[in-house]
Amino acid sequence: MLKPLVLLTISTIAGLLLGGASALYMSGLIGPKSIDAFSDIDVEGWRSDRSIGSASADPYTRARVSRHGLLALAKEEAIYFTRATDDADAPLDDACIYELSGGQQDAFWWSITLYDADSRLPMNDDDALSIDATTIGEDAKWTATISPTQPETGHWLSSRNADLFDLTLRLYRPADEVILRPEETLIAPSIRKLSCGETS
Amino acid sequence: MIRWLASFIVFVAALFVGHQLVLDKTPGFIMKKAMTVMKENGAQLHSFTLSARTTPQSQTVVRPSPDLAYSICPFDLSGGQSLLVQAGAYSNYGSVSFFDARTNNFATVRIGPEQTPGARFGVKLHPPGKRAADDNFAGPQIEAPSAKGLILIRRLAPSQAAYDEVAKIAVGDSCGPISG
Repeated sequence: MLKPLVLLTISTIAGLLLGGASALYMSGLIGPKSIDAFSDIDVEGWRSDRSIGSASADPYTRARVSRHGLLALAKEEAIYFTRATDDADAPLDDACIYELSGGQQDAFWWSITLYDADSRLPMNDDDALSIDATTIGEDAKWTATISPTQPETGHWLSSRNADLFDLTLRLYRPADEVILRPEETLIAPSIRKLSCGETS
Repeated sequence: MIRWLASFIVFVAALFVGHQLVLDKTPGFIMKKAMTVMKENGAQLHSFTLSARTTPQSQTVVRPSPDLAYSICPFDLSGGQSLLVQAGAYSNYGSVSFFDARTNNFATVRIGPEQTPGARFGVKLHPPGKRAADDNFAGPQIEAPSAKGLILIRRLAPSQAAYDEVAKIAVGDSCGPISG
């Protein structure tokens, strides 16, 4: 009588553990970092999810966002796009130097911020964590350098100590068209790799 | 044979239960942990605390924006009281957002340039199941979907000077219980 009971107990525990682990993995909470935290929309590598912050978000999205973007606002107030690769689809790496370029966004305010693989601001004191609409000003087109050391001129996002990193584009109070049809209306910034393994 | 089949069925059932349980509990677990960290960093129940300017050294949550100044008010309405949430007007982007115990952003109210300079924004927050009071209160009245949660004020502050301006305004932020 004991053997069947032991078998059932082992089956139950194994099932619960594996089930729990699979939920964490599919939500991107364990395992390789999943930029698919933002997977409903893809605009030239910038990914987002329409249900971020909303109670209508599916359980996987809610779990991923709670881990990688806690306290994110619903889309009516802000939308967030994240990108972890350059224009050649290679992972963004602090060993490389990139040119980030774009235009004005149709929103009250926007910013682009660099985060490390743990979704944290990289541990440096360069005070070059982001660029935003107030930094860029009225320029219709702008460029910035992403590098571990400051370039001689121009806007700069410091990737020092970021290792593999990603960028989050925030649009606060976006225009209705951007909320409804981001694939058609978002002005997706470009990320072009300039070099690797060299200091600027 | 039957024994193994039964074990397999139990395994699959447990797999499903384990999966759903973790998925369901994760947001609440993370929110609870985040609120604990915030309290350890000075956040107090039913009181706004302006966080230090966001830097790599001061960050307490994932993906904070270094361009925003955050004021946090944890709330617990399990005693049945309602809160009056007030925030000082700001000359640039600002918002007051409400999050429940499962991280859902259940309401956001804008503050900022559209407000009369010097005026205070006000919202009443009611516990789950409590209807808005039939009074002459001019601002929004919101029912929280959970007794516990967080109120977060965001104000645009991409520089130290802007943050210092926010710090002066944030002194007037409040989220205390409504008496009576």
